[in-house]
Amino acid sequence: MSEITTIEPFTEGFVEALLPELILFTGMLLLILVPNLGKGTFRIPGTQLRLPWLLGGTRFKFSSDPRLPAWIASITLGSAFLNVLYVFSQGLERVLIVSESGKELLLINGFSRIFELIFFGALALAAFSSMNRLQVKGIGSKIPENELYNNRRQADFYILMVTCALGMSVVALAQDLFVLFIGLELASFSTYVLVAFLKESKVGVESGMKYFIVGSVASGVGLYGLSMLYLWAGSLQFSVLAATFAVSGTTALPLIGIGFVLVGFGFKVSAAPFHFAAPDAYAGAMSPVAGVLATASKAMGMLGLVRMLLIVAAPESSDGSAVWLVCLGAMAAVTMTWGNLAALGSDNPKRMLAYSSVAHAGYMLAALTAVGAWNWDAAVAGDASAAAVAVMTALLFHLVVLVAFKLGAFLVLSILESEGGGSRLSSLGGLAKREPLLAVAMFIFMISLAGVPPMAGFLSKLLVIMGIVRVAVGDMGAEISDGGIYALGDHALGLVACLAYGHQLSHFRLLLSSCRRCDVL
Amino acid sequence: MDDWISMPLVGFPLVASIVLLAFVSNANESMRRRLANPIRMATLVFSLVLLVITTGMFFQYFGNVSWEGISFNNYEFLHRYSWMESLGIHWSVGMDALSFPMVWLTTFLLPVTIIATWNEKNGATYFPILLAMGGALIGVFVSLDLFMFYVFWELTLIPMFFLILVWGGADRKYASQKFFIYTFTASVVMLLGLITLYFFQDPVNPLDYAGSMTGRTFDIPTITQHALMENSNGNWYLGANIQKVLFAMLMLGFLVKLPAVPFHTWLPDAHVQAPTGGSMLLAGVMLKMGAYGMFRLPISLFPHALQYFQLALLIIGMVSLVWGAIVCLGQTNLKKMVAYSSVSHMGVILVGIATMQPMGWAAALFMMFAHGIISPMLFAVCGAFKHHYHSMEIGAMRGMAKHSPWLATSMMFAWMASLGLPLLAGFVAEIMMFIALWYFLAAEGWSVFWMVGPALVLAVTAAYYLWSMQRTIFEGGDETQPPSSLHGAPVPDIANPEKLAMLILAFFTIVFGVMPWIALDMMHDWTIQIFEGLILPVLGNFNGGA
Repeated sequence: MSEITTIEPFTEGFVEALLPELILFTGMLLLILVPNLGKGTFRIPGTQLRLPWLLGGTRFKFSSDPRLPAWIASITLGSAFLNVLYVFSQGLERVLIVSESGKELLLINGFSRIFELIFFGALALAAFSSMNRLQVKGIGSKIPENELYNNRRQADFYILMVTCALGMSVVALAQDLFVLFIGLELASFSTYVLVAFLKESKVGVESGMKYFIVGSVASGVGLYGLSMLYLWAGSLQFSVLAATFAVSGTTALPLIGIGFVLVGFGFKVSAAPFHFAAPDAYAGAMSPVAGVLATASKAMGMLGLVRMLLIVAAPESSDGSAVWLVCLGAMAAVTMTWGNLAALGSDNPKRMLAYSSVAHAGYMLAALTAVGAWNWDAAVAGDASAAAVAVMTALLFHLVVLVAFKLGAFLVLSILESEGGGSRLSSLGGLAKREPLLAVAMFIFMISLAGVPPMAGFLSKLLVIMGIVRVAVGDMGAEISDGGIYALGDHALGLVACLAYGHQLSHFRLLLSSCRRCDVL
Repeated sequence: MDDWISMPLVGFPLVASIVLLAFVSNANESMRRRLANPIRMATLVFSLVLLVITTGMFFQYFGNVSWEGISFNNYEFLHRYSWMESLGIHWSVGMDALSFPMVWLTTFLLPVTIIATWNEKNGATYFPILLAMGGALIGVFVSLDLFMFYVFWELTLIPMFFLILVWGGADRKYASQKFFIYTFTASVVMLLGLITLYFFQDPVNPLDYAGSMTGRTFDIPTITQHALMENSNGNWYLGANIQKVLFAMLMLGFLVKLPAVPFHTWLPDAHVQAPTGGSMLLAGVMLKMGAYGMFRLPISLFPHALQYFQLALLIIGMVSLVWGAIVCLGQTNLKKMVAYSSVSHMGVILVGIATMQPMGWAAALFMMFAHGIISPMLFAVCGAFKHHYHSMEIGAMRGMAKHSPWLATSMMFAWMASLGLPLLAGFVAEIMMFIALWYFLAAEGWSVFWMVGPALVLAVTAAYYLWSMQRTIFEGGDETQPPSSLHGAPVPDIANPEKLAMLILAFFTIVFGVMPWIALDMMHDWTIQIFEGLILPVLGNFNGGA
């Protein structure tokens, strides 16, 4: 592992280090400028001279194309994605960007770049796939090209996509609570507007309002928690906070602060009981946007939780479990059970996917809980940090493959939506007959979501469960081998894993209706 | 031929079916209809190639392997490729005398199923799915890696799910969901057991084929070897309590698949709704995955726990045996009756295992094999009944012998084979199970009057089979009653492909009934080997022993 290079903003190496973000920034400027290019002129006062300055006026043919913003956004996000990939292939250099007074602002390392891959990949796919879908009449009508929203409205949509990516990548890089919060709010506000983007339809406005109100309350609570942490530690730096936490982390003030922060990020990952806005938001938003909420936005929440819980509030020694262990464990168990059970009862495929996404959140929280349970028997489970690394690897892998099949499922729905269906399970009926390719894709996504081998979803779940079982085994192995299988009851982690896996069956309802009537009868 | 021959057994049918399905997926409706015939021929040829390979293996043409004398935990055609190195996952395949008869059975049933359901609708997609089913089943039997085993175990669900969902009867949606959820939930428990087993391995002594990140392995031969060493040192491998827990977790997955009472309720629903081809493979091979898994994992790894749970298994087996037979008496649906008779016969396997006698285990193995030939014939008869009479009710018609002599003869033969007529394959397994049970009772010092239960079941089995035959085939004399579902159309007999399939199945039922040693020798040898290699060193003087 190479050494960390420390640089100040706008000095040598700054541009190379932050190239993906700068690409996004450039793309955002282009999205503002290019659709406004036209034959506009500027009259020099007091003369008859008109100087063409190309902004406004009658627009050119290319700049009035409704698809132009989508192309710009897709290319921007795509090239940011490729840039990160390229950096990985060249061997990543770890760079820490500090302010002039030496405060750590942004840290570029493999971990943050992996998350950026998730964000950029999901948003690029969503931007590209919503190219022909922003229609005047809202969800569910098939209309020709000239009835797409005009390109100024389109530009709004794609600017929000790009700012969302920018905010998320700031969250990924942040080393300071203030920077973290800025990035979080940039991404959040972008998603609020994206959800409510179909303002002509009642559903869109309603879901946007709900999402905004619940989200801003959660953000406020989270901000309150951050301020408490600041009050207690006297610093916003992660490194300072972590050091202070190790010394006096079990006093009331930081624990309440961490709890409030948990609320803020709990909303982002849509963990129960902060998930109530999620199904409405997913159902009201356009499918690509819902897909972004379920993948990129969720990954951002998980990232925030990892930062706050494992880096700031991590237990210092291996003989005590983390203070938040019980709280997070309970949240994980409730979330996955609730999500899966609620998914069984919903008739709207988007709501079902939303609840399944709640369940997935619970599932990842369980993995995070496992990392927090440090007090295992090292003789049985082996090296503690190796096990933690295994669980974190599994978590990352799960987030990455989630982009593929969760977003994929939403994109299938988005195609159905623009054909006039997609809001009821029954409208998926006979899909195999009408659109064999879509049906096969949907089938693969669904069994992957349900965790059936040999799909990626199985492998990622297996890895997560293996991590949890490993921790649980390390935890209870000694007790069991000494006698008393009742030790199993003390450690519910294994059961939690079972829950997570067994309840994924709801996806089969969706699968079934999409395959129904595919015979000739 | 080199050791790699068992690789194409799995890979070839799976790849071939994916290629065929991809080919069909682009075609439109009329194109599919035209493609059905070439695809049917292609799948038949592919499955015959597999049959030739496995038969060649049996006759020592390929590999020159004698299937007898393979000592415990040794495998022929063993091949291992590294798959996920960090976790110790390998693509490892191999066969011993436990898995080889099952592999042969799968490759034998595949072409027979294709012939028996020659005119199935949507043939262009149906036959490739059958082929995929065969590939997944072979994969279960040849895989020697826990991860790979689980992947194939679940992979068998997908083609079967589609067979029931797309080609099934009126209530197929419910049946396919129930089938999937039951077996999937059970196998999740099994998966947790497998992972727990994985992590309870001792990483201190370096294991062969261990993962670079975890220090543990999924490799079945390595784990079995390790367990054997621990167990025969007088310890319980992994400790007494955890061994019991793991045994129960793994057994749950296998008992649901088998299925044993009280986990059997998915089977009648799945069978009644499944198409004929699906039923044939489901009853013929898929149920045996449960018994195979029991021998391969919990019994080989945890003999102490097997002894501990012996009585529980015996009770479950007895209850399945008796319950399945009694429920059969009350059925009015022909296929449901046959499905419950499968539950009863699987009870025989479980009782054979629970006796812990070499004879009982050989009986269980031979029952797996014999039932794998007889039950497809039963379901082929049911399928023909449904296909030609559009009804499955036993009371729907009388005097079938007059209208449809071929169907009546096949039905009579299959029914007789299933009720255990001497000189047919099923009888051999049943008589062996009785002898083993007698040994067991004598060794335990229990009253031999416990034999009365299973003996009465034979009578009950004969009763329900003969009664249903009497009602459908013979009753009515000259005044026959064609089924009302035909609406007065002339009563047809079965078609030529069906006749051919019936003849093949009947022929092999007789062959393995008259000359059981063809398959029984290697099974008997396998039980000798496992008793010499595992049970005697580990349990020492266990209860009696024949």
